[in-house]
Amino acid sequence: MRRTGLSALALACTAVLAGAVPAFADGGASQAPSPVPSAATPSERPSATTEPSAVPSKVPSAEPTRAPSGDQVSVVPSGAPNTGVAEPSSGSGGTWIGGGAAAAVVVGGGAVLLVRRRRATGA
Amino acid sequence: MRSLSGRAFAAVALAALLVGCGGGQGSTAAGHRAGATPSSPPASSHAPAARSVSAVGRSTPVGLRIPAIGVDTPVMRLGLAGDGTVQVPPVQAHDRAGWYRHSPTPGQTGPSVILGHVTVGAYGDGVFRRLGELRRGEKVEVRLENGTDAEFAVTDVRTVAKAHFPTKEVYGNVNRPELRLITCGGARTGDGYRDNVIVFARLTSASP
Repeated sequence: MRRTGLSALALACTAVLAGAVPAFADGGASQAPSPVPSAATPSERPSATTEPSAVPSKVPSAEPTRAPSGDQVSVVPSGAPNTGVAEPSSGSGGTWIGGGAAAAVVVGGGAVLLVRRRRATGA
Repeated sequence: MRSLSGRAFAAVALAALLVGCGGGQGSTAAGHRAGATPSSPPASSHAPAARSVSAVGRSTPVGLRIPAIGVDTPVMRLGLAGDGTVQVPPVQAHDRAGWYRHSPTPGQTGPSVILGHVTVGAYGDGVFRRLGELRRGEKVEVRLENGTDAEFAVTDVRTVAKAHFPTKEVYGNVNRPELRLITCGGARTGDGYRDNVIVFARLTSASP
């Protein structure tokens, strides 16, 4: 009787513990993620972000500033180079077109006036 | 015996419980490592930028080819004009490019400067008429007097007002072989142009 009673008690205890395992696991799980995102992950992310930011700032600054003496530009010219002479024909062409249009307007207007006068004198 | 077997049973159950908890911690540690891996790619992406080609010996440029915009021209030597500005090639029918002789030869360490006209007055288009169409990564080949072909890749194309010409960026010291191609661009002002078009390129290879 005692044996069965003790064994039943032990079984009941293990059953209770087994039931508590998920609860512990949940508790453990709820504790475990909280340090991961809040403490561990952000602390690593800044270090990851600082690395790329340090890389580009090093590369461009090091290249233009540090230069060995010797094979560089010995005499720096002043001002900007004039490497283009515009075509002169296009500007005069434009004036010719404008002048022609003005002449056509004057001639057309004169013709209209002549026709009106003739009609007026004829009537 | 009876109480011992009961205690042993309870101890086994507790041990199983603890082992289960330990496994959970192991998985979070693995998550950590996974989170840390993204930090490695920037280091590897930085590696190609550090790749450099060794400079070539001094030799005057004699020819220039830019396949992307159909340029294939002989190269003349240019110096300084009387007013301290850089000389430019003569305005003539068969326009060609010119190398500024106070700059390094192409392939040497430093900024080698080559100039050409965008238009040559009544003669029409200049040799660098389409220079502004170049894009990053496109190829520029320079033939040197000693037979070396120096190949450059375009790194930047800029159109800047002549009033704000970036003298330091064009002629300033650099610690690798680079090339500057310069012409005019932008709106016309009288018989010239308001802006300069500047192509920046770096040496990618050199074959003897």
